[in-house]
Amino acid sequence: MKIKSGLILRSVGGENVVVPVGEMSKKFHGMITLNETGAFLWKFFAEDHTQEEAVAALLAEYDVSEEIAQKDVAKFVEAISQGFAE
Amino acid sequence: MMIYDIAGLRIDIQNRCKFTEKFCEGYLSDNQISAADLSVFVTNEEFYAEKSNPGNFSDGYIENICLYRNICKQLPNLDRFLLHSAILQYENEAFAFLGKSGTGKSTHTGLWCKHLDGVRIVNGDKPILQWKDNEFLAYGTPWMGKEGLGSNTVAPLKGLCFLEQSPINEIVRLTPAQAANRIFTQVLMPQDMENAEKTLELLDKLVTIVPSYLLKCTISEEAVKLSFEALTGKKYPL
Repeated sequence: MKIKSGLILRSVGGENVVVPVGEMSKKFHGMITLNETGAFLWKFFAEDHTQEEAVAALLAEYDVSEEIAQKDVAKFVEAISQGFAE
Repeated sequence: MMIYDIAGLRIDIQNRCKFTEKFCEGYLSDNQISAADLSVFVTNEEFYAEKSNPGNFSDGYIENICLYRNICKQLPNLDRFLLHSAILQYENEAFAFLGKSGTGKSTHTGLWCKHLDGVRIVNGDKPILQWKDNEFLAYGTPWMGKEGLGSNTVAPLKGLCFLEQSPINEIVRLTPAQAANRIFTQVLMPQDMENAEKTLELLDKLVTIVPSYLLKCTISEEAVKLSFEALTGKKYPL
């Protein structure tokens, strides 16, 4: 799984914001805000990775249980499956 | 083609309809010879896309709208951007009032002009901001919204005030993240990567450096007093 191109993530005033550019801006109007975990996973899925790899990356980065990490990744993957991932 | 001095830039406007020449005449550059910082024109595709929108507008007006949009799309790479807001100047400091259309930007800024001496409207609707020497400058432009209020001037931007209608008057300071969430809808986001990234970078600076407030207000002088004292840090003159 990988985030589609044409979506840029930046911090604006400490808020993690994703906006569409180019072709993507014609399909998707608006913006997404992400919490810290969301921003971490967004950057991780900028490269092609599996869900299992994302869980491992979350566990390595944050002090969370495997159960929470799996839940977070599953939620994130579901959200980006709505047209933001390939 | 004519060169205009707008927001500290030499802009070459290649219009076909006369409308824009009259519209921008107060900004015509004395120097028509030196190179321009940017050039704009409107493609047929852009013109007809705009013309297909509801409303019965003249071709000159439609071209004029498209020209400004094309100017604004190129601004971020020149450290500038359009902030949809009403900007007032008081004692050489500029303050931006923001809100969805219909929230009362022109009503509230009109009350500032009525109750306070020495207030000038920089631009009632579509000012340009420039990031320069670690501060933001607010510029008047020929494009001023339907009321046509504004002047060819510039002043440092010292505060942002988001407006909401309310039965009571109240002002609170916003964090940069809260201001960020409110400001996106007031900015034209360019569609090319470079200018979009630059816009986000400029917005990050804006909400981090310039203090932001949320004013919940009635139509009253009391509301003016609240926003005046928060934005200027001065006592409201009696």
